[in-house]
Amino acid sequence: MERVRNLLRALLRRALSEHGQEAPALTDITIERASGRFEPRIGAHFANGYCTWAPVRADDCYAVCERYGAWDLPSLRRALLVEAHEIYGRVCEEHLAEMARLRARRSMAAAFFDRLRRRVPLGGREPGSSRETPEAVRSRADQASRRQESQRRLLEWWAQQRNDYARSALFAGGVNADVGSKRAQERGIRLLKENLTLVQRRQYEKYGYFDVTGGMSGKRYRIRHGRQMNIEQLDRNGRRVCGWCFFPHGSLVSGDVMLGQKTALELYEADALRIANRF
Amino acid sequence: MAVQIVMDRTGDTRHEFDVADSNAVALAEERFRQLTGKGFRAVALSGDGSPGKLVEKFDPTVEQTLFIPQLQGG
Repeated sequence: MERVRNLLRALLRRALSEHGQEAPALTDITIERASGRFEPRIGAHFANGYCTWAPVRADDCYAVCERYGAWDLPSLRRALLVEAHEIYGRVCEEHLAEMARLRARRSMAAAFFDRLRRRVPLGGREPGSSRETPEAVRSRADQASRRQESQRRLLEWWAQQRNDYARSALFAGGVNADVGSKRAQERGIRLLKENLTLVQRRQYEKYGYFDVTGGMSGKRYRIRHGRQMNIEQLDRNGRRVCGWCFFPHGSLVSGDVMLGQKTALELYEADALRIANRF
Repeated sequence: MAVQIVMDRTGDTRHEFDVADSNAVALAEERFRQLTGKGFRAVALSGDGSPGKLVEKFDPTVEQTLFIPQLQGG
């Protein structure tokens, strides 16, 4: 049961992280059956049309069924929705508190920089001037040491910010735990396979590549499993002519990259090759 | 139900909407505009792996729309 709660919490946090301060209303919780080698998924749906998914185990669902005495799918969904609403309320509060903390930290940083700017005035007397009095030299040394101290504090503050950011929910187990993870990879491959023809899918499963025909030129390309430098142009006899390298922006998983490459070659080949590097 | 599939670092994010619900359609259209404005290409998926169709204007009747980020050379 606790695992389901954690799962729901992660889904809801993800939704909040993508919508900033405006928390969309939670409308439904759905469960998608397992298909092929993919696990069943649980999805949270929101009033603005956004939905987010995570794999769920059958024994986790069973725990919910047992707890709520819900032995059919509609009542299980209702039970999960009740649970999710409760969690969502708490998560929203935490989220708002976190936003307030971030705002406070930002204003603190602004105040700090302001102080720093006022303590270290730009310009001033030229160092090494021949007519400097001992007081002026002492004052300059004092100023330099203050500047060093400010710089040290600035570096400390920056390190602290960096550590806080790294520890924040964005990178911790919660919100975007599946960024670039095995689950993300699997989801990418699933999307790719859903959009391959039967022949391409068999080719990919057997050899780790699939062939695509250029939508404009009719040329044959081979897309190998990978994220870059994975496209070959083939001649009529299936021999390599050259390689092409292009991929969609962002750190996408390999399944998405290959699907993006396939779609680009089929639908906007000229644009893709104009951007691509030949090797 | 129609679905907009946006490629991202988590694999993909799916936004389902009911074509009979005018609010949901308006939201989907807004999402379409935002994404294509950012350089995403919208493709109507065929469902059988054959080449889909590039979608220039929002069409709520398209069952599955895939949003692919802008391409870059490697």
